[in-house]
Amino acid sequence: MNKPSASTSRTTSAMKRDSLEAELERDPHLSSAKRQQRTQAFTSNMAHASLERRLVAAQTTKMELETKLREKDMLIEKLERDRRFFSDREQEEREEKERERAEYEEQTTQKDNELRTLRNSLTALREEFADLQDAHSSLQRSTSQTIASQKSQISTLTRQTALLEEEVSQFKLLADERSQTIDKIQNQVHELSTASEHRVKAEEQETSDMAVVREELHRQAAYLRKLESTNAKLTSELAVLRARHTSIEVLREEKRGLEMKLQPLEGLREKGRQVGGAGGGGTAGTARNQQPGSAPSTSTLSVAVTQDLSALRLKHAQLMEDHGATVALLRSKEAELANAELRGAEAQESIEKLESDIALLNAKVSRSEQVAALAEGESQFMKALLASYSLEEATKEGASVDAARAEQVQQLERLLEDYKTANARLMQQIDETVHREPVSVTEERQQELERERAANREKQQALDEALAESQAQLEKIEQLEQELFDLGGEIAGGRHVPPGVRVLSFKDTPELRLRDDPEARLSAMERVKEENAALIRRIEELMGRIEELQQRGGGDNDTDTAITMRDATDTNDNSSNNNAGLIPRESWDAVCKERDVLRGEVAQKEKRLKRLQSVFADKAEEFKQSIAVLLGVKLGFYASGQVRVTSLYDQDATFVFKPAKAEGAGASGTGTTAMQLEALGEGGPQDLPDLMAYWVGSEQCIPGFLASVTLELYERWKTEQREGQGT
Amino acid sequence: MAPKQATRNKAITLKGSTALVTEFFKYAVNTILFQREVYPGDDFNMVKKYGQVVLVTQDLALENYLENVAARILQQVQKWILTGSVTQLVLAILAKDTRTTLERWVFDIKLVEPPADSKDATGKPEAEIQSEIRAILKQIVSMVTFLPVMQEEKVFNILAYTSESADVPAGEWVDTDPLAIEASKSQQVKMRSFSTDIHRIEAMVAYRYEE
Repeated sequence: MNKPSASTSRTTSAMKRDSLEAELERDPHLSSAKRQQRTQAFTSNMAHASLERRLVAAQTTKMELETKLREKDMLIEKLERDRRFFSDREQEEREEKERERAEYEEQTTQKDNELRTLRNSLTALREEFADLQDAHSSLQRSTSQTIASQKSQISTLTRQTALLEEEVSQFKLLADERSQTIDKIQNQVHELSTASEHRVKAEEQETSDMAVVREELHRQAAYLRKLESTNAKLTSELAVLRARHTSIEVLREEKRGLEMKLQPLEGLREKGRQVGGAGGGGTAGTARNQQPGSAPSTSTLSVAVTQDLSALRLKHAQLMEDHGATVALLRSKEAELANAELRGAEAQESIEKLESDIALLNAKVSRSEQVAALAEGESQFMKALLASYSLEEATKEGASVDAARAEQVQQLERLLEDYKTANARLMQQIDETVHREPVSVTEERQQELERERAANREKQQALDEALAESQAQLEKIEQLEQELFDLGGEIAGGRHVPPGVRVLSFKDTPELRLRDDPEARLSAMERVKEENAALIRRIEELMGRIEELQQRGGGDNDTDTAITMRDATDTNDNSSNNNAGLIPRESWDAVCKERDVLRGEVAQKEKRLKRLQSVFADKAEEFKQSIAVLLGVKLGFYASGQVRVTSLYDQDATFVFKPAKAEGAGASGTGTTAMQLEALGEGGPQDLPDLMAYWVGSEQCIPGFLASVTLELYERWKTEQREGQGT
Repeated sequence: MAPKQATRNKAITLKGSTALVTEFFKYAVNTILFQREVYPGDDFNMVKKYGQVVLVTQDLALENYLENVAARILQQVQKWILTGSVTQLVLAILAKDTRTTLERWVFDIKLVEPPADSKDATGKPEAEIQSEIRAILKQIVSMVTFLPVMQEEKVFNILAYTSESADVPAGEWVDTDPLAIEASKSQQVKMRSFSTDIHRIEAMVAYRYEE
């Protein structure tokens, strides 16, 4: 710091000597130096020119590049526009897709819902189907049961019918017995009637005749039927025999044919016989021819022939016999056939007979029934008759003989009645039992079923109740949970403090201190209270005074002001302000206090400002010094914003710069305010104009200018220094 | 009183559980203060805890408060938890000017362990507890999405709900009002809970909501 100042003092002394030296050295030395300088200037100018050319070339290229850049920009812009257009398109497309997807999702959800409902219906239908199946199976079971029961019923009924039939047969027997008895009775009656009355006898005779005739008729009809059957049998037999006869005829015809054939054979035989005779002679002749000389040989020949003949005859007889045997066999077979046919006919006959028997029996049964009915009617009639007879006999005399008989008859009839009633009762009982049995059983089952159903119903009810209860409990639980949450909220909100719980807070908490500092609060309160009270008092006073004035008639202004003045002096000793009297002392105090506080604050601020200023000045000085040391220039700042720059190496070399919003600022792109060289001192290097022209004029680089000037000045200063030391 | 009970109830586990709960409370308070912007966000620094990043205050005053005062609070809370005499801890956020309660972050502390069968307890793995704590802290962070925005300046206070018989150091703790939110303007949200073998912490937030 001290060093530069010392050097400056030295330079000032060196300057003086320098001028002297300049006077002294106006000769070749200098001229050579000057020449050198000139050449240097020339070369620099040349370099400068070449650099300028290059600059121009560079500018033109720059222009070209700029135009190219503009084109590129336009291209980029166009591409950008296209891109935006495409991105818009893309956006639209995406939105479209989004919408479509949303629609699709909606549709799918709808379909899902439908599907779900359909599934539900399907399950419902399945359940229904299962139910129906169950119902169907139960119905089947019941029907099969009923069928079985009906079958058993039928079997019992058939058994019953068999029983009844038996009974019927018994009854028939009974009826027969009765008819017999009736016959007897009739006989008796007949006897009686013959004994007693002719009319009755005749009638009886007639009836008996009728019976006989009927019997006879029956017999004859039966006989006729028999005859018819035999007739039929015989006709059938006749047909068979006729057939056989035709076959016999055929056989005869055949036989005749054979005989016809046999006749020529007979002729032939005859001829043969003749030929045999002749042949015998022939053979004998041949034999004689062969053995003409021997007579016994002829006899032996004829013997042989006869033997042959007899053998043939025997053979023929045997054949005839065989024929006869076969014929006999045929006959026997025919007989057998006839026998078999006869037997078949007989069987047929027997069948027919049996059928007729069955018909007969049926007829007999019906007849017997009729007879029974008739007999019953007759017995009724007889009863009536008997009654009349008994009556008659009662009226007559000597009827005691038959009384016992009649009594017996009556007894028998009673017995019969009894039996009938018993029978009817038994029948009724059977009917009842038949009807009652299944009914009772089903009733029992029905009852059981009913009981089961009732139990089932009860259980279902209990289940429903339990379910309802559980539902209610669940709801209650939910409700309670909600309530619990609400109550938790009550506690969380701090509105409810559970019993037996203290709410504590740390005492040193700033919040609490701020809020709960009792002294500060109390003093503030007191102050405000006092102020309030004073104000009220003041108002009262003023009111009283106004009233006073009104009472006085309101002309005395002077006294009023006097009072005000007095008040002012009373209330506010150190203030000469008239209005101060209107303010109560407490308020005044508060305001004063506030003012004092504010004043103190202002003083503090001012002090701070001063300190800051001094610090700033120090800092600025430091800054300047450091710039001077580092850059070799002294800076002086003026209020107008001008900056004076003085070189350390030449006090006369002074430049004044003015801040200017240079037009080139925008082009350079820095944006800072440029400095403009405004004035020059006397000093400075000799080629200052050149430097200025180059650095400031063409390069517009003030730092470069200053640096080159500093360099020049330093060079000069150094040589001067050396020279000074040399001298 | 406290140590006696502690020794009877398998001391280490209980103490460990208590430490865990108090630590959780500290981080929860820090998270809430950051998320609800009670203190400017610049004051918080990221710290790794419970396997995630947790913001812890660097504000000198608050740090001081939390380190000294709240540390004492937490110490006291720890004692109370050990004795089981604290039932609730509440972080109340108030408007600085009007003193109205804006939010109450409530942490219910419940003893779950029946004192008898502590010997055969297999114990809940710490990783699980940590994951539960992580879940709560994350939920606190996510609460910001629906809690009303608080424009005004805020202050906070910590309240402790203790039983009447609790051992309260004189001069440090004072009875206070519960800083309630009016019923008509209060809404609450239940948060997750976490539990150690001994304690169960249930978190809930009640907030002022004016339409």
